[in-house]
Amino acid sequence: MKKKHLIVSYELEQWINEKLFHIVPMAISIIDRDYNMVYANEVFREKFGDWQGKKCHEAYKRKSDVCIPCVGEDVFGKRGVCHVGEQIGYDKKGRLIRYISHVVPIVDEKGVIHFLLDMTTDVTEVEKIRKERQLLFDQVPCNMLIIDKSFRIKSINQRAYDMFGKIEGKHCYEILKGLKNKCHHCTAGNSLSDGQIHTGYSKVKDKNGNTVHLQLTTMPLNMEDGDVDHVLEMAVDVTYIMELEDELKVARNFRKSMISSSLEGIIAVDKKNAMTIINPTARQLFLLNDNEEVSTEDLEQILPEGFMKEVFSTEEHLRMPETEITDMEGNKIPVHLTGTKLMVDGKYLGMAFWLHDLRKIKNLEAAKLEAERLAAVGQTVAGLAHGVKNLLTGLEGGMYMLNSGIKKGAIERVKTGMEMLTRNINRVSTFVREFLSFSKGRKIEVKVSDPVSIAKEVVDLYTTRANEQGVEIIFEHQGKIDLAPMDYESMHECLTNLVGNAIDACQMSDEDKGCHVWVRLFEQEDKIVFEVVDDGCGMDYNVKKKVFTNFFTTKGLGGTGLGLLMTKKIIQEHGGTIEMESEKGKGSTFRIILARKYLPKIAENPLN
Amino acid sequence: MKIMIIDDEPDIRTYLMTALEDEGYDTCTVDEEKPVETEIRLNKPDLIILDIMMPKRSGISIYKELRSVDEFKNIPIVLLSGMSPAKDFIPEGFRGLVDDESISVPDGFLEKPVQLPVLLHLVEKIRK
Repeated sequence: MKKKHLIVSYELEQWINEKLFHIVPMAISIIDRDYNMVYANEVFREKFGDWQGKKCHEAYKRKSDVCIPCVGEDVFGKRGVCHVGEQIGYDKKGRLIRYISHVVPIVDEKGVIHFLLDMTTDVTEVEKIRKERQLLFDQVPCNMLIIDKSFRIKSINQRAYDMFGKIEGKHCYEILKGLKNKCHHCTAGNSLSDGQIHTGYSKVKDKNGNTVHLQLTTMPLNMEDGDVDHVLEMAVDVTYIMELEDELKVARNFRKSMISSSLEGIIAVDKKNAMTIINPTARQLFLLNDNEEVSTEDLEQILPEGFMKEVFSTEEHLRMPETEITDMEGNKIPVHLTGTKLMVDGKYLGMAFWLHDLRKIKNLEAAKLEAERLAAVGQTVAGLAHGVKNLLTGLEGGMYMLNSGIKKGAIERVKTGMEMLTRNINRVSTFVREFLSFSKGRKIEVKVSDPVSIAKEVVDLYTTRANEQGVEIIFEHQGKIDLAPMDYESMHECLTNLVGNAIDACQMSDEDKGCHVWVRLFEQEDKIVFEVVDDGCGMDYNVKKKVFTNFFTTKGLGGTGLGLLMTKKIIQEHGGTIEMESEKGKGSTFRIILARKYLPKIAENPLN
Repeated sequence: MKIMIIDDEPDIRTYLMTALEDEGYDTCTVDEEKPVETEIRLNKPDLIILDIMMPKRSGISIYKELRSVDEFKNIPIVLLSGMSPAKDFIPEGFRGLVDDESISVPDGFLEKPVQLPVLLHLVEKIRK
């Protein structure tokens, strides 16, 4: 038995001595103190190429000089010490390789080291894979953290480093959230316990203390079989998206409340012609109930005919400052209407409409007119007080003259007194009549009338009187003036008043030159204009100020001064204005302007 | 005593002048077209009765002018007006029209319609 062992062992020994050296999958070489390659195995030759006659630094690294530092020197110097390290060299084809070098001293019986044994393992491939992995780890557009079972951060990628700084070794809950314990909803914890991929959300603070919102995915990393001992946590920074979402929410709410509280009616239809917006004001305008459905077809009926089509085919806003819509009960409502086509980047999105109810404004305009009339009435009261008291004083005076005249037997005085009484009594009655008529606000009767014939009549009426007083009265009218709705009698009265005043102004003129009164009638931009111009005495500043408002007269014994007030009132009732220009000594111009669109509407009288 | 009446209403002028003359006063009036100063210089009145609200010339502006000129500022002036009430006119009502303290208040105020006894009483008071 022993012999067999010995024979087997001898053969094995032989094999070990001869073949092992060359079979071991490492490049092995033996190097002496002078850096000479004494011997190397087949694997060495395969990897690094020929070794005979070369120095170690030549054979491994293609260097002509000794490495600095030299590992071999180190091992030679320290007895019995091995050296393991990573080296860079060149293979037989000249390609750069990385290898791990094991250097062991060969010690003889006396303890002297004559040679070194250098065993190398090629780790180039491994190194390459490691580098690629690191690149991926760092460049991936999210934070990567590797966390162990006890929630300590094992390693992080470049992105995480940039965001959080050096956090390896710390507990993730502590360093990222400032907590003492693991979070309630711990995505990493879930993956650790069930070995599955989990997603979640986390709010953390970066190295500067700013809040960062992260979208997490954790996946188990099994380093050993069975239990999951590490997880990879991938976190995408969604802070910006969250901020945008918040902004969008705010904007949406803002838009919603603006639309619902707007005093204008707002309506929108989308590109499929479905109604997307109809705000409360619009509903009120159309007489719709709160939840009543309304279709685009209904809208077409409500808006003026063809309006929607126009908006669709036009590039700009379509504005109709004064138009009519028809509500659900068929009533016509005056509105200011705007429509616009909605386009974004050349794509059609729909249409939007804005409606402004004009009824209030129209009512206000009518109320203003009425208020002005009442104000005119009110303003005259101060002037009236004076006027009436003058008349009363005149009557007192008349009575005094009468009485004292009779007492003294002075007939002349009695006569004067009678005249004063008569005159002032007449004035009082005229005044009362005119004022009552004025303050009552007699309603005008509107009929289709010919402005030309009104003016002509007044001129004819005054021609004789004017000529008697040396005044020339001229009637001028340009072009054709279409018929218009007005109160014939009232307008006649206005012109009569103005022409009468003009003739009187001529009377008060000092000049001996002939005095003229022009009555002009023309149309300008849809407005009918009557002008009464005289070149008589004109008015100075103080008189001009009071012309329309105060009750006064410059005509001494005649007139009550209410004429011009009446004129103004009548013009206002026709929706028109009256202008006056005057220069003392040169003459005056009174201008009545009646805009056709403001003229009163003819009442529909079924009896006509 | 010579009294000047300035009022635009002819009937009022006639009335006041006749009534005052009957009482033995001398009266005069102004021609509307001539400046007031000229007329005053010409007639040299001892008292002026001046209507405030006149359409052609402002009574108040005439008053202010007379009070600012040395020549005329000592002539007593009674203001005549349809405004009321008479008892509050001096000084409140007047100051409402003329807030310049350098313009002195009028010597009297007559409310229209003119009551003859009141007028005569006022004139008599001023004469003294």
